[in-house]
Amino acid sequence: MTVTSATGTNRIVRPRRVVRSGEGRWAWLLVGVVAAVLLAWEAAVSWLQLVPAVFLPPPTEILAAFVRLLGEPEFWQAFAYSMGNLLIGLALAIVVGVVVGLAVGWSPVLRFTVAPFLWLLYSTPKVALAPLFILILGLGNESKIALVFLLAVFPIILNTMEGAVTVSPSLVNAGRVFGVNGVYLGWKVIFPATLPYSLSGIQRGAALGFTGEVLGEFLGGTGGLGHLLEFAAYQFMMAEAIAMVIVMVIIANLTLWLISALRRRLAPWYDDRRIVGAS
Amino acid sequence: MSAFLASGPNLGRGGVGAWLAGLSPRGKVLVLAGEVVVMLALWQLVVGVLGWINPVFFPPPSAIWQGFLELWSSGVLATNALVSLQAWLTGFAIAVGIGIPLGLLMGTSLPVDRVVGPIAWTIYATPTIAYQPLAKAWFGFGIGPVIFLVAISAVFPILLNVAAGMRTTNPSIIRAGTVFGAGRFQLYRSVYLPSTVPFLFAGLRQAVVLATIGMVVAELTGSAQGMGAVIIRAANTYQTDQAFAAIALVVVWSVGMTQVVTLVERWVAPWTRKARR
Repeated sequence: MTVTSATGTNRIVRPRRVVRSGEGRWAWLLVGVVAAVLLAWEAAVSWLQLVPAVFLPPPTEILAAFVRLLGEPEFWQAFAYSMGNLLIGLALAIVVGVVVGLAVGWSPVLRFTVAPFLWLLYSTPKVALAPLFILILGLGNESKIALVFLLAVFPIILNTMEGAVTVSPSLVNAGRVFGVNGVYLGWKVIFPATLPYSLSGIQRGAALGFTGEVLGEFLGGTGGLGHLLEFAAYQFMMAEAIAMVIVMVIIANLTLWLISALRRRLAPWYDDRRIVGAS
Repeated sequence: MSAFLASGPNLGRGGVGAWLAGLSPRGKVLVLAGEVVVMLALWQLVVGVLGWINPVFFPPPSAIWQGFLELWSSGVLATNALVSLQAWLTGFAIAVGIGIPLGLLMGTSLPVDRVVGPIAWTIYATPTIAYQPLAKAWFGFGIGPVIFLVAISAVFPILLNVAAGMRTTNPSIIRAGTVFGAGRFQLYRSVYLPSTVPFLFAGLRQAVVLATIGMVVAELTGSAQGMGAVIIRAANTYQTDQAFAAIALVVVWSVGMTQVVTLVERWVAPWTRKARR
């Protein structure tokens, strides 16, 4: 399943789960394979000792480290620190991204003059700017929030723009016929029609923002999940480091799932397939 | 790229918008080029001449060019760019080497798809930066973790796109193939492959961007060589002009490789062009 993204390339979207009678069987197969892999891992490391446990601790040890981690107040402090920065940066990016995206998508003049630069900035690996942000804004929260904002804002702008461009003209005309104009037209017609696009931009932006937060903490941080992970790996406490990575995997997947759920809730009239057709 | 040249829903308006819409493609390019020149001149004026922004934080274009020349003449650029290039190409080759066969296998066999698919999506959804400290601990400092991060960033878009391409092959064409007596191999060669290739190239384009991000992240956080190391060293010594020059080169590489993928696609699979605008 693909959607045509703002960059004009086909981007695959995670297929919606289709519940069929045979589907449950595959879930069991998946669980079985994962269990088998974990068992083989455990066997190779702790029983046969093919790999030194220092390099690759067995799953049981990682699980123990994970449970230990969840019981530590230090971890929850770091969690709150990282998530706080991420949420602030993301909220700023959503507000700016949706407003700029709607404006640029709606106005042909703006689209022509500004959009090429936005597109160029979108395809730039902006993570390279991270050291400069730390240089300018220091090691505190500000540099991380700015980094989250910078990385998250462009996918939101470009997807919103794409959505605003593809709003059906007949909807706009119908609105005009009924005397809806100006800001009200934007709020009642353009914004809802663009919403699913914005949300898929926000989904991408959230993942990139997470990268920004963690990178900021790696490069110069005094707290946060990335700092904990870096510290554990540096001390060669591999069980703790892998447990931290699992925490991040859970956070990232939970965020994506949450935004997908939000999209289904807020824009139930659209699904991914419809977006493909519309663009 | 096509989004900003589309007409959009804003109907019945005149003025500058109508004038722009009426321009020929060549005229549009000229207006854009003019815009770029104006932007650069404005940037130079605000930072370099008027000094409204501290040039250490945001150097003007002329200083960035100077920084580029400094990097070039000191030989720093050539050695580090070569290291980055090597890591990027190796990692990308590994990603292609794993991604395409596994994607084809996922597309062919339903059990493999149902097992590998969810695992691949879960890993893909996590920003690859999370794996960087592990890579550093396992592969040491130097080029190893960079290759690992490039490969793991690039493999999933390729893998998942190829699998999606195989899965979404039009069933009526497959049926038509079987009706005309195509064997299993022939079916793959003439039905599955042509309909998967556009997906493959879409995945490759995504992979180029993600691989570049992975490379920069890995080099920024744990490597003494490569473009990322040049950027962070320049930034830490307040030579931001050199940092910006190095960033610009990375951008050129990323955009350039995306264009290369598109060119290869046009050459290898000209039939995919009609699917896009």
